[in-house]
Amino acid sequence: MRVQDLPGEPIMWVLIASELLVFAAGITAMAGVRLTDPAGFAAAQAQLHGWMAALNTAILVSSGFCAALAERACHRGDGRRARIGLALAALGGAAFLAVKVVEYAGDLRAGLGMESHPFFTFYYLLTGFHAAHVLFGIGVLALVAIRLRPEEVQAGAAFWHMVDLVWVLILPPVYLLG
Amino acid sequence: MELTRIWLTLLALTAATTALAFVPGPAAAAALLAVAFLKARAILGGFLHLGRGSGWRAAFTVPLAIWLALVWGLHVI
Repeated sequence: MRVQDLPGEPIMWVLIASELLVFAAGITAMAGVRLTDPAGFAAAQAQLHGWMAALNTAILVSSGFCAALAERACHRGDGRRARIGLALAALGGAAFLAVKVVEYAGDLRAGLGMESHPFFTFYYLLTGFHAAHVLFGIGVLALVAIRLRPEEVQAGAAFWHMVDLVWVLILPPVYLLG
Repeated sequence: MELTRIWLTLLALTAATTALAFVPGPAAAAALLAVAFLKARAILGGFLHLGRGSGWRAAFTVPLAIWLALVWGLHVI
């Protein structure tokens, strides 16, 4: 196992690993705090709209697919397809955020704020921090689409896949494990 | 074609997650986390190009599996 076997820039992998560790720490902390009030956590979680999270998962993995296609097109020298792929990936990110805004608005209307229950503190922190990554990732995709250099597109796509990866790991503990 | 296969796999696993969400109990929780692991592995191997041979994929997936087992353990205590 050598560093040069890693695809792309090693520093990107340091970022991916550190982001995974941060989110894993948050989810583990939530699972630990849940032990103090399992029934309360289950009741709080039951108020979330799991279908919106499922919809967002489909959106984000489809967006990741577009980023992967863009990366491949860029390596083949097809700049037009690469830009289309990056634009669709960013559009997927925007759609993800739009669903998240609708979800948060519904939660807040229902009186489910950050301090309603410890579960909601973790819920807003984990999903909000992830949403911030999505927003940043859209900016990264836009930046790499301007210059369209293969190594930069690969790095941008890798960041986007990391955002995707974190989401599939957040989904069960936050939304589904009652 | 390979990327399309990975994307369709991820969508199928998302559908499986949605179906499992309605099933109560520790076994369903384990299945949900196992599906999350499969999705993560597909993203790492398919979209992030972590080749099976280099050992890097295992460097990510083995700790991930152990962590998901820990999350499951904390859930069923």
